[in-house]
Formats: sequence, structure tokens, C-alpha cells
Amino acid sequence: MTSLVNARNVSKHFGSVRAVDNVSFEIEKGRILGLIGPNGAGKTTLLKAVLGLTDCDGDLSVLGFDPFRQRKQLMQNICFIADVAVLPRWIKVSQLLDYVAAIHPNFSRPRAEELLKQTKVLPGAKVRELSKGMVTQLHLSIIMAIDAKLLVLDEPTLGLDILFRKEFYANLLNDYFDEDRTILITTHQVEEIENLLTDIMFINDGKILLDASMDSLSDRYVELMATGEGAQKGRGLGPIAESEMFGKSVMLFEGVSREHLEGLGEIRIPSVADLFVAKIKEARK
Amino acid sequence: MIKHYAALIKREFWEHRSMWVTPAAIASIVVLGTLTTLMFAGDFAKELDLAIFGAQNIAGDMERKAMLTGFFVMSSPLFLLALMILIVFYTLDSLYAERKDKSILFWRSLPVTDAETVISKLLTALILVPTITLAAVFATHVINLIVTSIWVSMKGGDASVLIWGSVSLLDNWFAAIIVMYSACIWMSPFIGWFLFVSGYTKRAPLLMAFLPLILIPMVEGIFLRSAHFAEAVWGRLAQIPLFSGIDIEAIFDDDRPHLNEEMISLLSTIDLGKFVTSIDTWIGIVVCGLLTTAAIYVRRYRDDS
Repeated sequence: MTSLVNARNVSKHFGSVRAVDNVSFEIEKGRILGLIGPNGAGKTTLLKAVLGLTDCDGDLSVLGFDPFRQRKQLMQNICFIADVAVLPRWIKVSQLLDYVAAIHPNFSRPRAEELLKQTKVLPGAKVRELSKGMVTQLHLSIIMAIDAKLLVLDEPTLGLDILFRKEFYANLLNDYFDEDRTILITTHQVEEIENLLTDIMFINDGKILLDASMDSLSDRYVELMATGEGAQKGRGLGPIAESEMFGKSVMLFEGVSREHLEGLGEIRIPSVADLFVAKIKEARK
Repeated sequence: MIKHYAALIKREFWEHRSMWVTPAAIASIVVLGTLTTLMFAGDFAKELDLAIFGAQNIAGDMERKAMLTGFFVMSSPLFLLALMILIVFYTLDSLYAERKDKSILFWRSLPVTDAETVISKLLTALILVPTITLAAVFATHVINLIVTSIWVSMKGGDASVLIWGSVSLLDNWFAAIIVMYSACIWMSPFIGWFLFVSGYTKRAPLLMAFLPLILIPMVEGIFLRSAHFAEAVWGRLAQIPLFSGIDIEAIFDDDRPHLNEEMISLLSTIDLGKFVTSIDTWIGIVVCGLLTTAAIYVRRYRDDS
């Protein structure tokens, strides 16, 4: 069995609000899954359930553990960055390394120190003295020095400038990811990560709208830019979304083969952002 | 296991600098007080300095021992009070601050259970804080003795006999150890309550901790015309079953005090058996355990997002 996360009919209710509504999915080993959804879609609740931070209904198994009841065992093999601001501000960098080294059986302090040497973060500095970007570098250095099977990143680059964001993902891919590791990311800045994802999942109102590998997207979805007659014919094939751009109609098709669209206009693979918007609009109809 | 808890408790020590800053500040004040007194004591109280530090005319060995013991004990209420205040503020902050600055998400991303976290905070309040305070008490004693020895030597007295030969250091220290830790165990229901409030409240933990302790006795008094809650809670502050009766009359039943070793010994005033066998001690421990369990439950199940 290579699936690390196995969810069957998972739900989480807050009073009458269904934050996660009867969701089923699997995450295979060695994948980078992007969990994309608008604010309040249930992303964070779903991640919290996966991390054992909140209880939920249904069957959820992560690395073979019940996350809520076996959180300690789980956390030996999972890392997560929930937000850049969560490192305690009072702590010194060296104290943080001491603490994680004493607590975490899979943490390599030399590795963390080696990673920190590549940054401007000094061991004697307190977290409150570091810039937001440096705090993220510190957190990432700690996380990358932990030999974990699953890394969960919830909006990890929120509030960072473009240079730090690019560097963050470059480090993650070059220095961390390999076929034994699995990453689950949520972010609003979907354009920045779509090139590194192997799989994608859209979530809205607690439900999964799309769960597919990135490779399969180009087979399933096609975008057509057309005018006049081409656009008319395209409309006849039932696009799931249509918008106007530079006087042209941009239509998105699901399950329509390229051959059917040849000659009607410009054909291309839709971006994840366009696909996301189309799926959300479709769900809200 | 021990290494695990040691790391957790060390973390508390790093975060809460007041744990050592406060006792160190009090120690400094006490030492400064001693220095000032000695410097200006000459004209102010000849009898006093002679009696304590080297008089051959009135004071015998026992009297000198008694005075030195008194000299030590004087600063103890200050340290004990500081210990209690430190514990109140530490416990109320311990599960509240991590939620306020959202660092709880980081702490919970590591392989540490909520029970281990809360228990480490309880152990910090029951063991680490009094241990640091005791270290400050001992340091104060030693520094005071050295300062006084120098003073006595400058006056022409023999400090090795008059001070070091007269002082019952171990007796005082053992008594201080027993009193400090017993007081913490005796007050442990409050510690459990503060941990629970700290983990539960969304704002103003100090207010939320003390308001019920004030309002409930008022409501009970008005509606039930009784004071059971006040007696159980506030009464606890004044009733630690640790001391055997000190017979003041036996000391002063004559014109001149006649003291013996037992009267001077602080340890002899302590009855540890009475403390350990008191049902009230055990009720306190059970209440502390229940409230700590509630604090663990709250940390595990509350979802602030």
C-alpha cells in the first residue's frame, strides 16, 4: 500500500455549518498535492483533521494512524507549517534547535545548522528580531532537517515577497523533495506552485470539486479562444465556463477531445487558476 | 521520558524569565538591606549589634543562634510571597500566551502530546519555580553570612565562632526546602485551577481566574447564608497543616529568655507527618489532578480557528 492518507466519508461540522462534507480521497507516496479552495472552503479544517488537530467523523488514516488519537506517533513522521507567524517570538534560534533536537527523534541538528548557514539567520538571534522572510527560512530549515514522510504546508508563504516565495519553493524542491516524501500544500497563489504539483484537489463548501493528477488535466480539460463562428460552434459543444478576453471568447471544456475543437480557434491547456475559477462557478450554478 | 520532560521544562524556563529574575531581584534587595543595616547599625543599636554579632556581655550561644536564625527567617516571607505571585502569573500565562501568539500551532506540530505539555507546566510550577526560589534563598543566606562575617571581623570579633559556629545553616535550609515544596503542594488546587483557566479563557486570564473565587462566596453568602466555598478556597491560604505549635510562653516564661536547641531549630517547628497524613492535603492533590486533566482536555479539544 503506497497511499499515505486515506479518507473515507470524512466530515466535520461546526454547529450547522459543514466545514468538510463527506469527503473521500487518497494521497499516494511521493506526490506533491495542491489543495486549492476559496476562503472558508474547508481547506484548513481538512488539514487540521489530517494533522490530528481536530476530531472528525468518518474514516481517516494518515500513515496508518488515526490522526486525532495517535497524534504523537503521527507527528514523528509528519511536519507542518501552518503559517509563517507561528514560531514563538520570545525564543532564540539556538534554543529552538535545542528544543526540537530533544523532542523530535527524526530531527538532524547538523542538517538544520547547515541550512541556516545559507541564510542570514544567526543562532543567537531571537525570533522577534527576525524579518518575516527570515522567520520562514528558519522554520523551513527546521522542517527540512526532519526526516518526515509527509510535509503539510498551509499557506506557507503568506505575506512574503516574491523573492522569498520563489526561494522557498526552490529550496523545497531541490533540497527536500524526493520519491520517499510527500507534500500537501494549500495556497492562494496557485500560479506560483502549479509547476511543482503532481496532483491537484479543488475544494469548495466542504466538498471536493476536482481530484486529479496534473498529467491528466491536459487530457480532460481544453481551453478554446475563438471569435464569431468558431465561438458559436464551440458553445454548441457545452463549455463548462466562458469568458471574454481581448474581444475573444475563452471557453473551457471538460471531456471534449481536441479533435472536436481543431479549426475553431486557438487551443491550449488551461491554467490551474482558470480551471479553478471555472469549477467554482460551475459548482455555484 | 525524563529527557523529554526535561526539554519541556527547560522550554518553560527560557520563556518565563521572571522565574529567576524575581528571586534574584529579591535576593539583591535583601543583601542590600543587610549591607545598609550593618553600615548604619553602629550608632543606631549598639545593643543589637552586640547581641547578635559578638557580645560577650549579654548573649550566650543559644541567644546568638536564635538571633541568627531570626535574621535568616526575616527574609523568608518575602521569598514565599514572591514564589506564590510568580506561580499565579506563570500558570495563568502558560496555556494562554501560546494561543494568543498562535505559537500553539508550532508546538503542536511536534511529537508532544497535550497531556505531556500540560503536565510539564504543572511540574514547572510545583518543582522548578520553588527550586529556583530556594536557590535564591540559599544564595542570600550565604552572601549575608559572608557580609556579616566581614563586618564582625572589622569590629574585632571572631566570625568563625560568632557567625559560622553559631549558625544552624542545614537546619534552616532543610526547613526552607520542606516549607517551599509543601506550600506548593498545599496550593496545588489553585495551580490546577489557574492552568485550566489559562487554557480555557479567551481573554483576561487573571480576571477570569479570580472573579469566580470572589463571586461564588458572595452568591453563596447571599442565597444560602453559608460560607463553605469561601472556607474551602480562601481558608486554605491560612491553614497549611505543616507546623507544630510553637510554645512562645516557654521561651518567655521568665524574665530572661532561656532557650534550648529545639526551640531554635526551625525544623523542630515542622511536622511533615501531619502534612502528609492530613486529608486536606490529599483533597488538594486530587482537586489539582482533576483540574489539570480538565486543562489537558481543553487544550486537546478546543479549536480557536
